[in-house]
Amino acid sequence: MKNNWWKILTVLLLVFTVVAGMLSDVPRLAILNETIRNLYFHVPMWFGMILILLVSVVYSIRYLRNPTIKNDIFAYEAAKVGILFGVLGIITGMEWAKFTWGEYWSNDPKQNGAAIGLLIYFAYLVLRSSFAEQQQRARISAVYNIFAFAALIPLLFILPRLTDSLHPGSGGNPGFNAYDLDNRLRLVFYPAVLGWTLLGIWIVNVKSRFEILRQRIYENV
Amino acid sequence: MKMFRILVLWCLLLGATMGLNNVQAQPEQNGGTTIIAEPEVEMADTLRQDGKIYVVVTVLLTVLGGVLVYLISLDRKVSRLEKEVKSLGV
Repeated sequence: MKNNWWKILTVLLLVFTVVAGMLSDVPRLAILNETIRNLYFHVPMWFGMILILLVSVVYSIRYLRNPTIKNDIFAYEAAKVGILFGVLGIITGMEWAKFTWGEYWSNDPKQNGAAIGLLIYFAYLVLRSSFAEQQQRARISAVYNIFAFAALIPLLFILPRLTDSLHPGSGGNPGFNAYDLDNRLRLVFYPAVLGWTLLGIWIVNVKSRFEILRQRIYENV
Repeated sequence: MKMFRILVLWCLLLGATMGLNNVQAQPEQNGGTTIIAEPEVEMADTLRQDGKIYVVVTVLLTVLGGVLVYLISLDRKVSRLEKEVKSLGV
């Protein structure tokens, strides 16, 4: 129980997110209407993705400094959960865009950047599965993972800001200050980001422990 | 496997209760009921206030709860396996 306090926190934060996210007061804005509540579900997917992929990069760097199977497993599992969050983020974004921007896909710089970023990470999965030898696979995919993360940051946070974009926080506006100014939104948004990210970390935790066990059994059988 | 059986049973129960609720709810909404609402029925009406947003909250909580329960059970299974492997000294 001592080490599991953060799992209880995850459950509490997510329950709070759903209840407060649906029932709390939100700013009355044209076009957005009630869909502004997606802020608590769509945006945390991306924040969660970035944080979980950062965890993955940290373990990749650790692997290159200290090549243990554990570091490789953590990096791989975190990357997979990060990609899952990214895919959910892009799908929820398309659903939201259909009813506010008019199209599922309007070739917005933010959408295109996110799609390219995800493709780079899909390539990570393909690259990993193309090696038969464990050490080679771990080392090369660790190096690739670092470059993938370095490519993702400008694709999501820099390039969309250099051009006009429908997406808040793009087209020259740093951050999403139009909503961020509102404290009612912040009160749910920050717990939501923390809750969803912790859920991702939890999945990484369970999956990694499972993989480590499997490795140990394979080594000894 | 056991968990899935429990889950299926639970889903059936939930569906059944929701079906019953619906049958009761429909005439009430039309205002055609002659029976005066009891306090328990007023409690149930909470879920139909504010454009029925509470129904959405209930559904979301159910989905979230189901996913979390599944994740917790996975976590426990892995923990048990970890202990077993440790005790075997593999």
